[in-house]
Formats: sequence, C-alpha cells, structure tokens
Amino acid sequence: MTPLRQSHELGLVLCRTCGLAVSRAALKADLRCPRCKSRIEHRTPFSTEMTLAFLIAGITLYIPANLLPVMHTSGLPGDADSTILGGIFEFWQSGDWDIALLIFIASVAVPFTKFIAIGLLLFTVRKNSRWQQHQRTVLYRIVEFIGYWSMLDVIVVALTSALLQFQLLGTAEPRAGIAFFCAVVVVTMLSALSFDPRLIWDRRT
Amino acid sequence: MDRRATFSKWSARIFSEGQSVPMNPILICRDCDTVYRALPLRRGDVALCRRCDAVLARYFGASVESGLALVCAAAIFFAIANLTPVLSIDIAGIETEANIWFAVRSLQQGWIFVAALGLAFTTFLIPAVQIGLLFWVLLFARAARRPPGFGPIMKLLHRMRPWSMTEVFLLGALVAIVKLANWVPIAAGAGFWAIAALTMVLAILGRCDPASWWSIAPAKT
Repeated sequence: MTPLRQSHELGLVLCRTCGLAVSRAALKADLRCPRCKSRIEHRTPFSTEMTLAFLIAGITLYIPANLLPVMHTSGLPGDADSTILGGIFEFWQSGDWDIALLIFIASVAVPFTKFIAIGLLLFTVRKNSRWQQHQRTVLYRIVEFIGYWSMLDVIVVALTSALLQFQLLGTAEPRAGIAFFCAVVVVTMLSALSFDPRLIWDRRT
Repeated sequence: MDRRATFSKWSARIFSEGQSVPMNPILICRDCDTVYRALPLRRGDVALCRRCDAVLARYFGASVESGLALVCAAAIFFAIANLTPVLSIDIAGIETEANIWFAVRSLQQGWIFVAALGLAFTTFLIPAVQIGLLFWVLLFARAARRPPGFGPIMKLLHRMRPWSMTEVFLLGALVAIVKLANWVPIAAGAGFWAIAALTMVLAILGRCDPASWWSIAPAKT
C-alpha cells in the first residue's frame, strides 16, 4: 500500500465544480478550470468565516421560527394560532405519535443536529484538531444529507392552507413563523455548503 | 488487487500513487483531498476513499439513450404532478384540490411570500430547470455533439443539486394527509403518484456523479 497523499503534495488541485484534477503548473494566472471554467482554489476561500456567519444567522432565525405561530386556523375547532412545537404536541396528544415524531425530527432534531454539528466542525477545525478526522468527515456528510428535510413543515403548512381555503368547516392560513422557518432551512444549508471538509484533514503549522 | 463486494467499506478498486494503470484520470477526494489513480469500474462498483470513505466515483452504466429515456419520464411525471391534483378534500360535495402551485400560492400573504419563493424554487423551478437542462445536454450527446453552453449548464446543474426537494414534498403531502384525515375526507390524486415516480427517476439521475456527466460529451477542452 502506498501512502495516501494530498493534492498539493503532488502538484495537483481539484476543481470542486466538475471534479477534474488539474495540475497546478498548467493552471493559468486566472486560476480557471480548463474544463468548466470555474475558479479553482486550493481551499474554499473564507470557508470557516462564511460557515460561521450562516450558522449564527440560522440560530438567530430559529428563535422567531419557533416563537411565532406558523399557522392560523379558524372555524369549527375554534380560532387558534399554532407554533411548530404546539403542532407536534397536538399530534402527540391526539395519538398520532408517529407524525409527531416525524415533524419533531424534521423541525427540531435536524436543525439542532445541524447547529451542534457545524459548531463542532468549526471549533475543531479552528483548533487544528486531529481528533476523529474520519468521524468528523462522516458527520459533515450527514449534515449535508439531512439539511433539506427540514423543509417538511413549510410544505405541510402550505398544503394545509391550500386545501383549507374558504371552507365551511374552517380555514387555515400561514403565519410569519413559517417564513422564518424557511429562512432557517436555506441559511443552514448555505452554512453546510460553505464548509470545506478538507480543512478537517489539513495540517496547518 | 482489492476486488471486494460492492458497497462494502473497501470496495474501492482505486489506488493511491504507484500503480501502473492504463487509464490516466486522476481522482481527488472532495472531502479529504487524497489523490488516487482511477481504475475502470465494473457494473455496480463504487470507488470509496480509503481515508474518509467518500464516494470517489460510481460505475456509470447509463447510456445516453437510457439517460434520455429517464429524463423524458421525469418530464412526463413532472407535467402530471403539476396538472393533476396531488391532494383533494371533499366537504359536503365541494371538492378542493391542491398541488405544488396551490401550495406556493397559499403562502403568498404579505411578506410570508419569501416562504412561497423558497417553496417555488425548491419544488417547482429547480426540478423543472434540471429536467430541461438534462434533456438539452443528452439530446446533443445522442448526436455525439457537445451542446451549446455545455460548461455553464454543467456548472448550473452542479449548483442546483442540493436544492431540489421533490422527495420532501412527497413526505409533506403524506403528513398533510394524516393531519387532515381526522376531520375531512382527503384523497391522494394522480399528482401524488406522479411525484412519487418523479422522486425515483430524479434519484436515479442524481446518482450519476457530475464527473460522469462531463464524460458524456467530452469533445474539445
């Protein structure tokens, strides 16, 4: 088995857009990929800064997303504003524990996992840590994969409101919380996409 | 040579420096920057990074024809999903239907429309553009030609990939069914099944990594 080498040791650099391995010597002054013309960088520039900025924005937006109501229902069951947590609680009480669990995972567990995981990745990268590099890379891939499932509640509220318009039985309307929640999903996805996982493996001296 | 089973941790038939391999392409791991020389993959093979287990390459079995067929199927499912109701409720003989566009429209209230925008992009616009661009690329590839705008199109497809949320919409529709079923008669329409099928087709198309798409129309650099 030959030792594993990183790209810069062999005079190569990866184009992250199209996956082409480019020789550094052949790279022209404008640093464009010869195949797809994207800009090529050794590491994503300002990766940790961007990730942190989006992470803080995501955590901030998550507060109004949970405090403000996401949906307003009126009609037979009475007028009510419901928040995300309130909705989960209602499902739980009415015996639909499986749906309660599903929404809990998508709307609470996934965002929290993302906040903690990205925070951990940023912290360890900053510390130049060698701890659990493999596991941290897997963690990054999990964060990337679970990110967009949080959009679930936005879709449920939108579909419910679309169906319960001008109904005799009652109506449902979206409320501000859902816009904040949508923003949380977008911003945390941007945070994960800004993170360059290769930083986990870099040795800065 | 390591030729173990597909999907197992060590299924990589890809080796670091030092192997003499007829094929030139060099693979670099996106997640840990390790360099490998590519070996030809056989059906079902997945090349994994020895250091971090990232997928370096998959066997690219889809011919241009089957790719085109899948894209056409996706376009048809997408059309059905948007032209027929995904969900419908029936209250005292009055039927209300909903699909992706109805859902987007229901969020257009005051400044909540930013959520409508997010939903429109992720469940309608991006899947539509993906299907359209793939069709364009594959149509030219079938004639063994590189389509106009190939570079920018491939870049755009790469950028859009994380933002396509058809499968989340499917799950959302399921949750809405269970949520409303307690009070109103609710039914899944043809659009629901079309979205389910679309999810599967897009997943198959999405499995092909970008590097493989580039090799479809190699031509000049």
